[in-house]
Amino acid sequence: MTEPPSALDDIRVLDLTRDLGAYCTKLLADLGADVIKIEPPEGDPARRVPPFYQDQSGPERSLYFFNLNTNKRSVVLDLEDPRGRAAFEKLVPTADIVVESFAPGYLDGLGLGYQGLGKLRPDIILTSVTGFGQFGAHAHYLAPDIAGVAMGGIMWLAGAPDDPPNLPPCYQGYLSAGIQAAAGTMMALYHRDLTGEGQHVDVSMQEALLIAQETAMPQYDLQKAVRHRTGVRGALPINVPGMGPYEASDGWVWSYVGAPGGAPWTELLAWMQAEGKAEDLAGEPYASTIAELNMRFLTQVVLNPDSAKEKAPVLAHIDDVLVRFFKSKPKWEVYEQGQGRRLLIGIVSTPEDLAKNPQLAARRWFQDVPHPELNGSLRYPGPPYRLSETPWRITRRPPLLGEHTAELLGEIRAQGPVGEGLQTVAQPSGSEDPDLQERRRRQ
Amino acid sequence: MTTSNGRLPLSGINVADFSWFGAGPICAEALAVYGATVVRVESETHIDGLRSIGPFPPGKFSHNVSGYFNNYNANKLGITLDLNTEKGRDLALRLVRWADVFLTNMTPRIIERWGLTYEDLVKVRPDIIAAYQPMQGFDGPHRDFLGFGAVLGPITGFNALTGFPNRAPNGMGTNYPDYVINPMHTLVAILAALRHRRRTGQGQRIELAQLESSVAALAPALMDYTVNGRLQGRSGNRLPHAAPHGAFRCATIKVQTPFGERDEDRWCAIACFSDDHWSRLRTALGDPAWARDERFATLAGRKQHEDELEQRITEWTSERSPEEAMELLQAAGVPAAVVQNARDCLEDAHLRERGYYVQLEHPEAGRTTYDGSGFRLSKTPARFERAAPCLGEHNFQVATEILGLSPDEVADLIVEQVLR
Repeated sequence: MTEPPSALDDIRVLDLTRDLGAYCTKLLADLGADVIKIEPPEGDPARRVPPFYQDQSGPERSLYFFNLNTNKRSVVLDLEDPRGRAAFEKLVPTADIVVESFAPGYLDGLGLGYQGLGKLRPDIILTSVTGFGQFGAHAHYLAPDIAGVAMGGIMWLAGAPDDPPNLPPCYQGYLSAGIQAAAGTMMALYHRDLTGEGQHVDVSMQEALLIAQETAMPQYDLQKAVRHRTGVRGALPINVPGMGPYEASDGWVWSYVGAPGGAPWTELLAWMQAEGKAEDLAGEPYASTIAELNMRFLTQVVLNPDSAKEKAPVLAHIDDVLVRFFKSKPKWEVYEQGQGRRLLIGIVSTPEDLAKNPQLAARRWFQDVPHPELNGSLRYPGPPYRLSETPWRITRRPPLLGEHTAELLGEIRAQGPVGEGLQTVAQPSGSEDPDLQERRRRQ
Repeated sequence: MTTSNGRLPLSGINVADFSWFGAGPICAEALAVYGATVVRVESETHIDGLRSIGPFPPGKFSHNVSGYFNNYNANKLGITLDLNTEKGRDLALRLVRWADVFLTNMTPRIIERWGLTYEDLVKVRPDIIAAYQPMQGFDGPHRDFLGFGAVLGPITGFNALTGFPNRAPNGMGTNYPDYVINPMHTLVAILAALRHRRRTGQGQRIELAQLESSVAALAPALMDYTVNGRLQGRSGNRLPHAAPHGAFRCATIKVQTPFGERDEDRWCAIACFSDDHWSRLRTALGDPAWARDERFATLAGRKQHEDELEQRITEWTSERSPEEAMELLQAAGVPAAVVQNARDCLEDAHLRERGYYVQLEHPEAGRTTYDGSGFRLSKTPARFERAAPCLGEHNFQVATEILGLSPDEVADLIVEQVLR
């Protein structure tokens, strides 16, 4: 069997990114591009971010780094050393795309900004991923993930009203900037393929996230009303039975029974009755109230919260019985049996639930990637999308620091005597704080 | 920089957009603002919920003025087609014959009922790029499970991992994966497929199961379990390798709202990933005695005493506006950022300078704001030229110019309630 083709198998990417932007080059690498990760002698700082394999830190053990660097090759090269720069300049003509996440202007200072790269490769695509973009009052602000989700408006919306705004999990700012950067890079590549013209792609983590504010932006634009975070209730001003999170016997589920698209509340009542757990809900005044728990009711409550005041004790009792029902069953049973009844109910999946999810298993979603140095395979997240002719795939585990320096050295030597700028550093050098080094690099 | 003779990357590409809600329409809008001709297919019998939800401009209420819907559908031509009729399905396939890209996030059941599977499409357009965004996938035991963005957050793991450990798993407060993760992953896949087709002439089928695309966005927590067996939960705003790291309460302000004057909480995010950040923060706070305490000198110490650390920092932030705190701390080399709400974003001077938001004139909604592109191309920047279509606004234009029908035929289709 021959391997299917890749959409990017003729494309070389020089990857200068750190946390921010690394997901962009992962997406390109997983679609078949030859992504060469250029690391400083002490390694990408992402190598020091937890979680670590078996909880022991080390530059070749970060699971965070692993996931962001599948299919890439690693070359150690110090861009601040003239020899390293010369070696990089030898690589640029062989590349279609450079992706970087330094502070704006840093590469210009080395003569390697868009103009400088264009002299080496006129149709180069340079993608720059930063917190706030290449220009503007905040362009030089320091921007870890939390700065992006804060300034991008999505953190404000997450959480209970009396809690601080909640941090989205797993670096959604970095991730969203990475996805937008990959889309922008692919757009620029399509244009280059047709016209021979390269360009500079400017991605701001803040801008990458702004559209995820949902109704909040148009609500202020149209009504001058700020949307606030509402915790578990969503847009509903009161607790409505069947809407929101419920504890199961071993975790949480989330119910939207009453919202359009699923079976009505009466089906949930039938389920409770079938299990002998409806208590007195089949009698009045509960049954007639349950029959009315639909979109019309939800809309009335949203438009006029007082409309439900009279019914509050009845609603509270229905909810109490429902709480007991869900609490009596394991979460997977609630999810699968509820869905079997066409009820809008989801499991609140923990990572363990995802690892055991029968749908992901049936579709062979997880990927076991061999790591000979760790004496085994590690289980990675699988494809975000499946392309029938040019499939997403992992063919190479993430690189050891400088693993491919000699390989690239050979390629470059063939072109001239500049290879000595490539250092064959296999281990991180020195004890200097990597964040300090990163700061120096960014300034 | 120079522009490319007015040509946009996707000029000449035709898109049949059979999607609704967020994940599909946002992807198709990105194709449209980079030059593609996008026909959004809707129906009065199967109306996009975002047209009904709002928010609406004051005093206006119709399916054409929802800010939620309009924000995701700029630059598109809008037609209404009843796909529950045979003639409607015929016209859908005529549109597919015209299209380079087909996109939908309808359920597998509906796609099969409407005759819009990949196998159906290649019969009329062999090199079609057909992108499907089912919730769970077109196969597997949960294929027909119900769901939309609001259930997707819990199912994909976002809710279990967001928020404070003592709270219910409230999630992100929005249908988060609908807006960037799923639409923009789809965009990457479509652009890869367009490139492959340009090189080989071959189309293909793309399937983005929203479950899979969203779970892929939680890799660190997922691998901590699949590799280490450690079950991560909700850990509030903290990170294991930073302290302080969180949102700190600032001085409350009074704001005018449609409901009168109200207090508004204000917050500033602050993050120290290194001892250098910490020492700069200490200096910026005025080098208070508490901060010189040995217990806070190292990351391990700051993690151990994080409750007290956060309380001390809040004493400082609560006397300031978040803007003042951010500017002061950033000037001192400490990562800090205002936790902005939608008003802050719309009034953000930096975003204004960058021209992020776009204003478009709509025949019913008036002049309203749209999110700009999530990335910028120096020579072929996105062009937002037309507000979102009213329901069926371009029926006649699309039927005659794209589907090649005569005005008489169009009239018949209206009478027969196919174009509705």
